[in-house]
Amino acid sequence: MSAYFIPILFIAIFLYAIIKKVKPYDAFIEGAKSSVPFVLSVFPYLTAILILTELLQISGVGSLLEKILSPIFNLFGIPTELSKLVLIKPFSGSGSLAVLSEIYSKYGVDGYLARCASAIYGSSETVFYVASVYFATAKSKPPIKAIAISLIASFISFCFACLICKIL
Amino acid sequence: MNIIFTVCFCLSVLALTFFSPEKTLSTLLSGGEKALELSLNLIVVYTVWLGIFSIFEKSNLSNKFAKLFKPVNKLLFGNLSEKENEYISLNISANMLGMSGATTPMGIKSILELEKRKNSDYRISMFFVLNATSIQLIPTSVIALRSSLGAINPSDIIIPTILTTMLSCVIGIILVKIFIKR
Repeated sequence: MSAYFIPILFIAIFLYAIIKKVKPYDAFIEGAKSSVPFVLSVFPYLTAILILTELLQISGVGSLLEKILSPIFNLFGIPTELSKLVLIKPFSGSGSLAVLSEIYSKYGVDGYLARCASAIYGSSETVFYVASVYFATAKSKPPIKAIAISLIASFISFCFACLICKIL
Repeated sequence: MNIIFTVCFCLSVLALTFFSPEKTLSTLLSGGEKALELSLNLIVVYTVWLGIFSIFEKSNLSNKFAKLFKPVNKLLFGNLSEKENEYISLNISANMLGMSGATTPMGIKSILELEKRKNSDYRISMFFVLNATSIQLIPTSVIALRSSLGAINPSDIIIPTILTTMLSCVIGIILVKIFIKR
């Protein structure tokens, strides 16, 4: 069903453009031009955040944090097996996808842990990635209160995910 | 950001000094390589989406589409200019549909538009929280991964995911309304 959505959307956009006498090729090129400078300006931010993720993982500080925090997570109903996912999700999309597949292969793809991990992964965003990339070309800095609010809201919803997967 | 970066960086490098000092530089470089890989991928994705969006925008269709979101946006953000409303609507709808390639370019354009006005702190924070708590309706990538691994019913996580993501979004909105002054 959803596979049809993208092609139909694109056809609609092109048809409407032709009706409105917009030249689709010229318009496409004009928009597409901005992508390289845009990614170039984002690159240093991406590098900083990925270096940090890599450092935390390789140095073992990440797993130490995991050990310290997982009893606290347990108090809120988040199983120990999922604390790595909870910790890496705000930093790295590809990193958390790797952790998710790891959970699937370790604990099976249909069990409670797998479903809970899926809900956690699917319901949240990489907060620090959004913070660095969205503000890459802006003059203002990412508001610190908003980052804190996003992290808190995500954490509460993770606890909720672990609860709801037991019921549903 | 400076505090988080410095603390995490120094702690990790300190740990590396004790356990495997020779890995320090290679870790930094491999982080950079991952960023390069991701950036190359992003260039392709954004070229496609920014191109399509430009057609969408030039034909004024995106403007018409964004008008549908005006009442909701007004509730969340207060008064928005026409351009602000347009970029925010496009970003949010791309988010909901899980078109992750399209969300970031529109997100950046929204921030650039929002910061043009004075006292934009509340609006920028609200926009950031909406994006950072994610409002994706159908977790397509998770379903695809699960079905490729042979899950019995790969889409049985749709309802828990939607409920969870809605909750995080609502909590985020409420917290912004309480803690950040208009």
